[in-house]
Amino acid sequence: MVAAIGSMAKGSVAKFKGKASGPQPATAASPTPADLRAQLEKSGQPVLLVAAESLGRTSFMGIVDGKSDVLTWESPEGASFSQRDGILIQTRGLGADLMSAQAPSAAQLRSGGSYQRLYYFLGPDDQGTRRTYECTAKVVGTETVDVLAKSYQTTHVTETCQRPLGSLSNDYWFEGPMIRQSRQWVSSQVGYVQFQRVID
Amino acid sequence: MSQKPYWPRERVITPGLRLPCTRYLRIAFVEILGPVTMQLSPRLLLLSLAMGTALSSSPALAEMTGSLNLNGATGLVDMPSGEAQKDATFSFSMGVIGPITRTTLSFQASERLSASFRFQTWRDWDSVIPGDAKVTDRSLDLRYQVLKEGKLVPAVTIGLQDFTGKGTFASEYVAATKTFGDRLKVTAGLGWGRMGSYGDIGSPFGNRPAVDPSGTPNADQWFRGPAAPFGGVEYKVNDNWTLKAEYSSDAYLLEDDTRGLLDRKSPFNFGLEYQRGQNTRFGIYSLYGSEIGISFHVILDPKSRVTGGVVGAAPVPVKARPSRTSDPDAYDGGWVTQADAGSILRKNLAKRLAADGIAIENLAYSADTVQIRIRNSRIDAGAQAIGRTARALSQVMPASVEVFEIVPVVNGIGASKITIRRSDLETLEYTADNATLLRDRVTVTDAGPAPAWSLGDDGLYPKFAWSLKPVARLTEPLKGDVGLRLSARYDIAPGLVLTGAIYKQIANNRDDSAASTSALPHVRSDGARYNEFGDPALEKLTLAWYARPGENLYSRVTVGYLERMHAGISGEVLWKPVDSQLALGAELNYTKQRDTDGGLGFGEYDYDIVTGYLSAYYDFGNGYLGQLDVGRYLAGDVGATISVDRVFANGWSVGAFATVTDAGPSQYGEGGFDKGVRFTIPFNWALGTETRRGFGMTLRPKGGDGGARVEVDDRLYDSIRDYHTDGLDPDWGRVWR
Repeated sequence: MVAAIGSMAKGSVAKFKGKASGPQPATAASPTPADLRAQLEKSGQPVLLVAAESLGRTSFMGIVDGKSDVLTWESPEGASFSQRDGILIQTRGLGADLMSAQAPSAAQLRSGGSYQRLYYFLGPDDQGTRRTYECTAKVVGTETVDVLAKSYQTTHVTETCQRPLGSLSNDYWFEGPMIRQSRQWVSSQVGYVQFQRVID
Repeated sequence: MSQKPYWPRERVITPGLRLPCTRYLRIAFVEILGPVTMQLSPRLLLLSLAMGTALSSSPALAEMTGSLNLNGATGLVDMPSGEAQKDATFSFSMGVIGPITRTTLSFQASERLSASFRFQTWRDWDSVIPGDAKVTDRSLDLRYQVLKEGKLVPAVTIGLQDFTGKGTFASEYVAATKTFGDRLKVTAGLGWGRMGSYGDIGSPFGNRPAVDPSGTPNADQWFRGPAAPFGGVEYKVNDNWTLKAEYSSDAYLLEDDTRGLLDRKSPFNFGLEYQRGQNTRFGIYSLYGSEIGISFHVILDPKSRVTGGVVGAAPVPVKARPSRTSDPDAYDGGWVTQADAGSILRKNLAKRLAADGIAIENLAYSADTVQIRIRNSRIDAGAQAIGRTARALSQVMPASVEVFEIVPVVNGIGASKITIRRSDLETLEYTADNATLLRDRVTVTDAGPAPAWSLGDDGLYPKFAWSLKPVARLTEPLKGDVGLRLSARYDIAPGLVLTGAIYKQIANNRDDSAASTSALPHVRSDGARYNEFGDPALEKLTLAWYARPGENLYSRVTVGYLERMHAGISGEVLWKPVDSQLALGAELNYTKQRDTDGGLGFGEYDYDIVTGYLSAYYDFGNGYLGQLDVGRYLAGDVGATISVDRVFANGWSVGAFATVTDAGPSQYGEGGFDKGVRFTIPFNWALGTETRRGFGMTLRPKGGDGGARVEVDDRLYDSIRDYHTDGLDPDWGRVWR
């Protein structure tokens, strides 16, 4: 028993290095981002590129569930991310999941302003816990965003959230009303996850 | 009322897929990304979310928690301190002081109260006085922090060390610790007993009477006799390294003066400790001017899984029904008359639930209600098993079914009935704080009998299963035997099960101790003989029948070779409303003592007895469970057992028990009254995977014949509590997992 637990504690992650903004052109033999995009487009389905920074993992995900304004994206390995108009409200299959959230609407983010944000988790011993943040959304400016060999003109919105014990910030790049790219906080153990809408 | 047409089969079967596009996408991605991944940068590795191992422990806490000493108690080197561990900390410590080894399990039972169970071995015992080269002793400690550290006041703890033993390690103390800055801690204390044996300041509370070696709490001695001051400092160099220095008030009279197995030259001890991650700590010490000491600690937090959270694939989404206005036909209940509807629904549900290790015991439905009886064999949290079942029902059941009744079944009997409205599931799936909101709308009631018109499963009964597993049986730390256990289980019908187990030793390093001298019938104290002669041994062979004789009532009858020492019949009835903190039980057993050779005979002892208990169980909240049993024990003694366990939602439990009976200390022989500690560590906590299995152990200072009970598998209270409100609610949030 002791040995097993000891070896479990050993497992550690190679930290994610650098920014994940899509595949890097590598050797001559490997497909370029453009090739990859062409392949993905063939499927004719929406695709989200998800990069979990602390886990050093990136995956293309497809939609498994769509209910009114909530889309749930899932990786082939069974991790899912639910977003309301592109704003993360739940994760599953990550271990330290975001169980639910009271998040701002996309319109609220774009128009700026202050509001309260609630995150719900399962804490120690799987008891429900909540974090309450006071948040402010601000438009940073217009930026060009590259998503898998395609450029988009976007409006960058930053959401900064405070609570007595700490702070966090989420970033959204709006292409019109739609979130083309974002970097959103999931939980203290998973940290930030980057999303890029590759195929609409 | 007009006759509705039968629905074509396609309307009844909900497709076994999610959105059709998904399946296509998944396949497409595997094909596209499989080869691509290897050639692109490592960043593009597929998100293989076996994140359990990936999510490693977070950085060590900056705050200074109390560290453990050579005795496994919070303290300095050999002396205790005024601090406590973080609530619920469970630690395993091994300390070596020259020829002495102390192995200790400690548990911070609440923020202030902690307890330890220690196994101590002295080697070179025959250095001066001829006799055994090695002796062993077990001891129990209790510590209570009367004062928490404040800006000005120190943390103060009162402790009783070895408070029930024959006194070889008995001490009482008061210790105070104050932190200065974030690196330095200073401790000062006053000790009695062993800790009052060097440099004493007199006997403030009178003389210490001789110890009564009966194993009862040595209360007459507490804080009596010479008192001596001790103290020390602890300096944290960085998150990993700590220096300690202390002045010890333990003269080691037994070890030095009497037995000569070590030479105590100085009261000063020095140590260097290394903390590795949150779970392990090592130390090396210079002790008493003559000995080298080492320590090793494994420090566990039952509240937090090693892996952060239970890992497992995301659940299937709740399937949205079409709105009643846009598709009223979908809500027509005519499908219930379709002849094969039941078998089709059942097959589709079984396929989905199998992925979560859930089997369907029974399925019953009407146009608007479905009752599914499930056997959850894998998911550790009852709430999650219920959530997964509800999601599967939403995918499979026709739209007219609005009420989901989910009955978890344990040993063939319904433990409770959780009723969920389908529309609540649909509305709340993506709502903030959906766990609390759903719990408010869900009812938990008595399971009741299975509906008469339900569909059972031909595949579950009768069913035979067996396993062959390596087993280690410890009689003391690192002593015992290893062997193979062949277990078999035959589920004859719901609630009726035949089980058996045979154990064969492969190797052992036990010291088979001398024959028992107990004055009571040797109902437990011949354990060493059973170990020695019972190879191979039929450990058990029983037929058990579980039933629900009425609302809130549960019953069990077990017949056969109940355990390795006793065979016979055991019956039990339990009253436990699903939402009650109180449960009451009655048990009646008639048993004969088995031969030590592990066979079928009863010739060796010619001992039979009727035993029985009335039990009360109470859930005090926050995971503290109490139990009181009053009755007649195996040796014919009459008395009561009180036990307290702290259970965690993830399945950890740590507890202690004590039994006092009318068998006087003189009759108990070496055992004193029966007392001990027990714990269970669930594998899901260590591995982060969904499993209901775990590792458990009961430790007693001495195994005596007084206050002994026959061991029977699957007593009722523990079996069903998981699915009652007090078992479901602490981790109810996992219903959405």
